[in-house]
Amino acid sequence: MPEIRLENITKRFGKAIAVDNLSLTIKDGEFVSLLGPSGCGKTTTLRMIAGLETPTEGEIYIDDRCVFSSQQAIDVSPDKRDVGFLFQNYALWPHMTVYKNISFGLENMKWDKKAIDERVHELVKMLKIEEFLERYPSELSGGQQQRVAIARTLSTGPKVLFMDEPLSNLDAKLRMEMRTELKRLHVETGATFVYVTHDQLEAMTLSTKICLLKEGLLQQYQPPLEVYRNPSNYFVADFVGAPNINVIEVEGSPVNIDEVKLTNDEIKFIFMPSSKVVSISEKQKLLLGIRPEDIQIGEEGDFEAEVYSTLPSGMETIVKIKIGNSILTSVVFGDVDFEIESKIKISFPNDRYILFDKESEIQLASGKLS
Amino acid sequence: MTYRNRLKMYFKKPHNIILTSLFIVLIYLTIIPMITIIIDTFTVHQSELMRIKGSKVGDFTLYHWSKVFFSSISEKMFYQPLLNTIIVAFGTCFVAILIGGVVAWLITRTDMRFKTVVSTLFIFPYIMPSWTIAMAWLNFFKNPLVGGAPGLFTVLTGIETPNWFAYGQFPIIMVLGLHYAPFAYILIGGILRNMDANLEEAAQLMKASRARIMRKITIPIVLPALLSTFLLVFSSAMSAFAVPAFLGTPVRYQVLTTQMYRTLNGLNPGYGYIMALVMIVIGVLILTMNQKVIGSRRSFTTITGKSSNIALIKLRRFNWLISLIVLISTLLVCIVPLISFAVESFIVEPGNYSLSNFSSIFWIGEGSPEIANGEPGILRNPSILLGLINSVKLSVVVSLVAGTLGILTGYAISKARGTKLALIVNNLAFFPYLMPSMAFGAIYLSMFAVRRGFIPPLYGSFALLVIVGSIKYLPFASRASIGAMHQLSGEIEEAGTIQGISWFKRMVKIIIPIQKASFISGYLLPFISCMRELSLFILLVTPATRILTTLLFQYNEKGWSQYANAINLLIVFFVVGSNLLVNKVTGASIDKGIGGN
Repeated sequence: MPEIRLENITKRFGKAIAVDNLSLTIKDGEFVSLLGPSGCGKTTTLRMIAGLETPTEGEIYIDDRCVFSSQQAIDVSPDKRDVGFLFQNYALWPHMTVYKNISFGLENMKWDKKAIDERVHELVKMLKIEEFLERYPSELSGGQQQRVAIARTLSTGPKVLFMDEPLSNLDAKLRMEMRTELKRLHVETGATFVYVTHDQLEAMTLSTKICLLKEGLLQQYQPPLEVYRNPSNYFVADFVGAPNINVIEVEGSPVNIDEVKLTNDEIKFIFMPSSKVVSISEKQKLLLGIRPEDIQIGEEGDFEAEVYSTLPSGMETIVKIKIGNSILTSVVFGDVDFEIESKIKISFPNDRYILFDKESEIQLASGKLS
Repeated sequence: MTYRNRLKMYFKKPHNIILTSLFIVLIYLTIIPMITIIIDTFTVHQSELMRIKGSKVGDFTLYHWSKVFFSSISEKMFYQPLLNTIIVAFGTCFVAILIGGVVAWLITRTDMRFKTVVSTLFIFPYIMPSWTIAMAWLNFFKNPLVGGAPGLFTVLTGIETPNWFAYGQFPIIMVLGLHYAPFAYILIGGILRNMDANLEEAAQLMKASRARIMRKITIPIVLPALLSTFLLVFSSAMSAFAVPAFLGTPVRYQVLTTQMYRTLNGLNPGYGYIMALVMIVIGVLILTMNQKVIGSRRSFTTITGKSSNIALIKLRRFNWLISLIVLISTLLVCIVPLISFAVESFIVEPGNYSLSNFSSIFWIGEGSPEIANGEPGILRNPSILLGLINSVKLSVVVSLVAGTLGILTGYAISKARGTKLALIVNNLAFFPYLMPSMAFGAIYLSMFAVRRGFIPPLYGSFALLVIVGSIKYLPFASRASIGAMHQLSGEIEEAGTIQGISWFKRMVKIIIPIQKASFISGYLLPFISCMRELSLFILLVTPATRILTTLLFQYNEKGWSQYANAINLLIVFFVVGSNLLVNKVTGASIDKGIGGN
C-alpha cells in the first residue's frame, strides 16, 4: 500500500529556502491538501515527491521504497515512482487528439492496441467526455480539457495522484462541479491524492488532511475541521475560514488558576480555558480569536454594538459590527438583514474562542468568554 | 551530499548534459579562437622578419598594434576605413529604418491597398544576397569613367552618371539600406502588430487627435524597438563586405571589411586581425546596448494579442497614390534587379544592348578562346557545377548542424533557466552574432591553419566551412528555439516524463511537433544565410571547396560580369525558391525566425 514519507526534506534555490526541513507522512488512500499562500513551497513539495524537482537534502519514500535520498544519491526518475500528475494548465499536448493524449502513455508502455482502446473508452466514459475523442485540445472548453487531463493522468493507473492547483483556471461554477467530481474520483480510484491549492475552501471541502505551509515551514498537519477549530497558531487561524477570524488585541492577567482577565481600552472579558491550562504573566500581550459564527447577535446580549455594514447573500448574512473603535465580522444564517447604523446587542455564548500569544502567535488555549 | 553524488544527479538530467557539452564546444569554438587571434597580433610572422629587425618568428611584438594605430600609414589603412564604416553604417540605418518603418506603419495601421503583395515582396531583398541590389545598381548606373562599359541607364538616357552616384559611399548606403529595410520592417511591424490596441484606444477615448496619439503613444512605445532595430542594422551594415567590395573598390573607397580582406589576403595578417578585433569590440558594445534596450522594452510593451484591431487610418484620396508608389518601388527593388541579371547574362559585349549582341553563350556555350579565356557557359561549366554542388551541400549540412544545435541549445537553456551555466551558454551561443563574418572567417583561418591537439589542420577542408558556418548561424537557430521553448510551458514535457516517455521520444513526439514552425525557421535561416554568404567563407575556400558566392566574387573581380550575373541569378533562384517551398510546406518563414509574426 502506497504510503508517502518525507524525511527532513529541504529545497534551496540558490540562497532562498523554498522548503525547510519538512517531514510528513501521507497514509494510503488519504486526500491530503498542501495549503498555503503563494511562495510557501507547496508546489515545490509536490514536485519533489513526484520527482520533477530535486530536493537539496532529505529523503522521500513511496510505498516504503526510497525514491530519493541525498545521502545515498538515490533519485528515482518520475516515471518509475508510479505516480500521476495533474498540472495546473493541464499540459495537454496540443498536436494530439483527445484519444491520442490519453493513449500516448499506454502506447509507450507497449500495451497492445485492443487493451489501449478499452482503457481509453473506460476512462472517457468515467469522465463523461466520450464525444470528444477525435477533437484537439484547443477545440475543448476549460472544463472539458480538465477532464481530458484527468483521464490522461489516470490512464496508466497510478496509485498516487498529484494535483497542482487543478481547478484554478476554471470559472467559479465549474470549479464547484469539479470539486464534487474530484471527491468522487478519490473514492472510485481508491488512490492516494495529494493536492496543492492556495484556496482554503478547496482544501477544507476536499481533503481528509490539510498540510499548511508558510515560507517553507510546516504549520499544521491535521484534518480540516481540526485545523479550523484548533489552529496551532494565529497564521493558521487567519488563513483558514471565510470570512476571516476576528482578532482582538488584549492584555492578559491571571485571575485564578483557570481564569484569565483580558482587557483593552474598550472591552473586558474573563477567559476560561477549556482545552488546557494556561499560565500567563502579568500584562502579557495576547490575541483573542473569535470566529464570525461565534458571535451571536440579538435583542439580548452582553455588549452594546452598532451595525457597520451588512452583506446578505440569501443563505447567510455577513454582518460587520462596530464595537467601540474596532470592527468585528459576524455571520447570521438565514435571509435576515439589518439596517446600517442600527443598535444591536451581541454575546459570546460558545466555548471555542482562541487565545494566542501576541509575540510568538502560538495558540495558548481555547475556551469560554464571559 | 557528497560532491560525487551531486555530480551524478546533475548529469541525470538530459538538459544538464547538453548544457555542459555545449559549454565546452562553444568555449572551444568561440572564446579560444578569440584568444588565439589576440595572441597572433602580438606575434612576429615569417613575412615580417625583414621589417622587425633582429626578431625570430613567434617573438612577442607590438609592431602590428603600433603600425595600425600610430604610424604614418594608420590614417590610410585604418582610420579612414573606420570613419567610412561608421558613415556607411549610420547612413544604412537611416535609409533602412525610414523605408522599413514607413512601410511597416502603412501595412499595419492604414487601409493601404496591395498589402499582401507588398508584404510578401518587401522582404525579398533581405532574403536575396546583399550584393544583388549592388550588382543591379552597377548594371544600371555604372559609368565608363572608371573603365568598362556604361550601364543601362546611360545607354537608355544618354546621361552619364557621375562617379559619386555610381560608386562609393552613396550607392553603398542606398543599397545596404534597401537590403536591411525588410529587417527593420519585420521588427517594427511585429511591434506595431502586437501592440495592445487598447493603449491607443484609451487615448482616442480621451479625445486625443490622431497625430497626438502617434506622437505621444505609438512612437514612444515603438521607440525601444526602433532603437533595437537601429543597433542591429548598424552592426550588420558595419560587417557587410560584399556590397562595399562591389561598389567601393572601383573608386578605392575602403571600409574596415574590405581593408581587412586586403590585409588578410596580403602579407600582413596581423593588421587584419587587429581590425577584426576592433570590429568585434564595436559589435559587443552595440549588442550590450541592445540587451539594455530590450531589457527595458519588455517592461512596457505588453503584448496581449487579445485586443481587437485598432481602426485603420484612412488614407482617403491619397490611398491610390501611396499604394501605387509603394507597390511600384517594391517591384523596382525586388523584381527589376532580377530582370537586369537575366539581360546582362545574355549580352556578349557589355554595354551594347542591341538585339544582335544577345547570346546564350554564357549559359550554354562551350567557351571560345576570345571570350573570358575560353570559360564555358555556366550550365556546362564543371567548376561552376562544383561550386553549386558545394554551396548546396554546405548549406544543407550547416543548416542541419546549426538547426539541431539550436534546438538543443534552446531546450537546455529554457530548462535550466536561472542557472549560471544557462546564462553563460546563452551568451556564448549568441556571441558569433557579434563577430563580423569576415573577422570570424579570419579567426578560424588563423586557428585551424595548423594542427590543434587531435584536430588536424583544417584549412582547405569542407569540414572547416561546415564548422564556421554552423557556429556563425547558431545564434539564428538558438534564438528561434529559445523563443519557441519559452512559449511552451515546462508542464507539457513533464506530463510526458511522468508517464515514462523517454527523453528522445519527448523531444521528437511532443516538443518538436508542437513548435514545428519555429524550429523549422531555425533550420531555414542558416540554410538561406549560408547559401548567400560570401564574407564568412571568402578567406577559407580553396579551389576544391569553392562555393557559388566566392565564384561570383572572383568572376566579378575579373570583370566577367556576364558570368557573375548568371551565377547571381542562380543563387537568388535557389534562395528564394527554397524559402517559398519551406514556407508553403511547413508555414515556417524567415521573418518568424527574426522575431516578426
